[in-house]
Amino acid sequence: MTAPTAAPAEHLDRTLAAMTAAGIDALVLGRSANVRFVSGAEQLAIAGTRPFAPACVVVRATGAVHLMSTTDVGIPADVPPDRLYGMSWNPMTIMGNVAAVPGLTDATTVGVDGMTPLMEALLGGVLPGATLVDGEALLRTVRRPKSPADRHGIRRAVDAAETGLAEVAAAARAGTRECDLLGRFEAALGRLGITTPAFDTVTCVAGAGLRVLADERPLRTGDLVHLRCGVLVDGWEGGLARTRVVGPATGPQQAAATRAAAALGATVGACTPGAAIGPLRHGPGVVTLEGVGLGHEELADDDHLAVDDVVFVEVLVDQVLLGDTVHVTTTGPVVLSTAPVDLD
Amino acid sequence: MTPGALLDLTDATPDPARMRHERHARLVASMREDGVDALLLLGQANAGYATGVRVPACEQARALHRRPVALVTADGADPHLWTWYPDGAPAGLRADHVHPGLRLEFDADARALVSAVHDVCPTGAVAVDEWTMPLRAAFDHPVGDAGPTIGRAKLQKTADELACMRRAQRINEAAVADVKAMLAPGVRGTDLTARLLERAFALGATGNTVDPIWQVMPSSIASGPHTLTGDVIFPLCTTTEPFARGDVIWVDNGLQFAGYQSDFGHTWIVGGAPDATKRAQCARYRAVVDAVVDAMRPGVTARDLTRVARAVEDGRRTPWLAHFYLGHGAGTESAEAPLVGTDLGDAFDETVVLLPGMVLVLEPVIWDDGHSGFRAEDVVAVTETGAERLSSLDFSDYESTR
Repeated sequence: MTAPTAAPAEHLDRTLAAMTAAGIDALVLGRSANVRFVSGAEQLAIAGTRPFAPACVVVRATGAVHLMSTTDVGIPADVPPDRLYGMSWNPMTIMGNVAAVPGLTDATTVGVDGMTPLMEALLGGVLPGATLVDGEALLRTVRRPKSPADRHGIRRAVDAAETGLAEVAAAARAGTRECDLLGRFEAALGRLGITTPAFDTVTCVAGAGLRVLADERPLRTGDLVHLRCGVLVDGWEGGLARTRVVGPATGPQQAAATRAAAALGATVGACTPGAAIGPLRHGPGVVTLEGVGLGHEELADDDHLAVDDVVFVEVLVDQVLLGDTVHVTTTGPVVLSTAPVDLD
Repeated sequence: MTPGALLDLTDATPDPARMRHERHARLVASMREDGVDALLLLGQANAGYATGVRVPACEQARALHRRPVALVTADGADPHLWTWYPDGAPAGLRADHVHPGLRLEFDADARALVSAVHDVCPTGAVAVDEWTMPLRAAFDHPVGDAGPTIGRAKLQKTADELACMRRAQRINEAAVADVKAMLAPGVRGTDLTARLLERAFALGATGNTVDPIWQVMPSSIASGPHTLTGDVIFPLCTTTEPFARGDVIWVDNGLQFAGYQSDFGHTWIVGGAPDATKRAQCARYRAVVDAVVDAMRPGVTARDLTRVARAVEDGRRTPWLAHFYLGHGAGTESAEAPLVGTDLGDAFDETVVLLPGMVLVLEPVIWDDGHSGFRAEDVVAVTETGAERLSSLDFSDYESTR
């Protein structure tokens, strides 16, 4: 990966403005993507959920970002070393470090992006007068509109995912196992210098339902293979989904692919400012409609698309899975992925 | 293990149905001990432990928003499971207990989950491992901490869990053997990751937990990056910087099998054999591990183990990193209880008593400032009478007299 760059100052500025508007005095954040958004800090990529821990503190009164880190490696220059606090296995020590962040104990409304019963009790101890509110909801809103620089990051990730998908598709031959294809994507990305997949690649033979967990079954001639790939590049996610056939496609398979492409096109075409998320999700063949940014970004059914949203749209029609990353603009949706939707 | 060798699956083939039932029984017993009637689990590894659900490895944001949720009741009924990935629901779970995934960052699904908890446990004690803030708001009565209850259940591994961990470790070591063969000046850490993951998935790994680490270590702490602790800094993210001849690489990675973690750590020298200093460091690492493993048996405390490790390196620096530990537990989490030698201190370590079925990843660090250091990881299970190594590290580089 490239060396970390400073977080665009506008990310923090927008966060501080939203905190002011919501009456939130401080944020105590645990989620990597939120931490990266406000600070630009790169953290070691670890798959899966982790319980809340106070990895980052933003104080509105000072405008300062403080990070839990034992080193300044991966920390942008605009978070100086005196704004780093140490980690510990002792939650009381961590809370002492957090409480020492200038201005935090003056906060009466504190946004947090998750919680555990233990952390809630301890945080209550060092911030006895403070009310905890939903900081994830605040950051979800702040992070939604993507700047040109954000979109550049997403485009780089989409490009990388497309390179990986092409390698996986080329390897999808009779006799190759699903789990072999899974490793091919990781290998292709690693050779590009990228080692942070967004999710385990889907390399599953189409069947009755959508499968996402690869097994050891060998591909057979005539199989349709679902390939859903996603990767993070400098934190930004890009992905796409395609279906490829092992050997030549049959006439019915070609016809299914045409119907799937039409369904994807119709769904993408409906991604315009103001469109309600819930109805889009219930459109013909639609299986996925979600936000894309610093990894997966959540959208509610009662949200509406807005200018500069970036979303991932995916359909499954007659066992053909197709998905694209789409930028919502005033002049219509812009599809960021370019790989052909053909079966072969 | 030589590159491309076939895996030995003897004692490394779990019975998934038996494993699920035995874990559930352990969890229910732990709930009864704590007086918990309903246990709501949002942590991915906890939900996997309670139900056997499999989900794909995902970056943290996706993992959080597409998490599986488990609801376990002390009456011993089949748990309820909410998952976004139906193909990962275990075969033996009642079909009417498997529900579609929830968007727990939004009020509607948070309220629906609380309602489901109320349905199975209208008046009893409820405990949760973690919250989303909408879920926290949706509960209108006090909820306890599930941490101690699930923690107690997970501490001692069943025979099938140990079989999973052996398999994960063997997959890891076999894949690493291939990676090691390509180590040379000019190769990048990301190239090693490419090879590692390609091999690991082909060998049957079911997920990768951490961006694999191949950190070039400085010769001295002062010549390395700034730290708050004044100690060696590790781990750092892998970069695309090519390795140079003589680089000292600390390796650390964690691949999964069936939800169970392996942990591989070693120290490699790029493009050459270790000199006498490096060989001595390796020998000291092995002496510390051997002494600790010899001391491991039921009834021994974590404090006993740190005392043994320090005694081997008597008069030298503490043989592990200040911000980490001499050892940590592993299972469905890459680092879980028991912890040995953390900054929780000796008094805490006195309270940690080894039990059969516990698994420790020992990771002593031998550091001679000015001459870099040696770090590896040995995975060891506590048995009824002693200890069994689940890892099988290759130290042949360091035994050469070349």
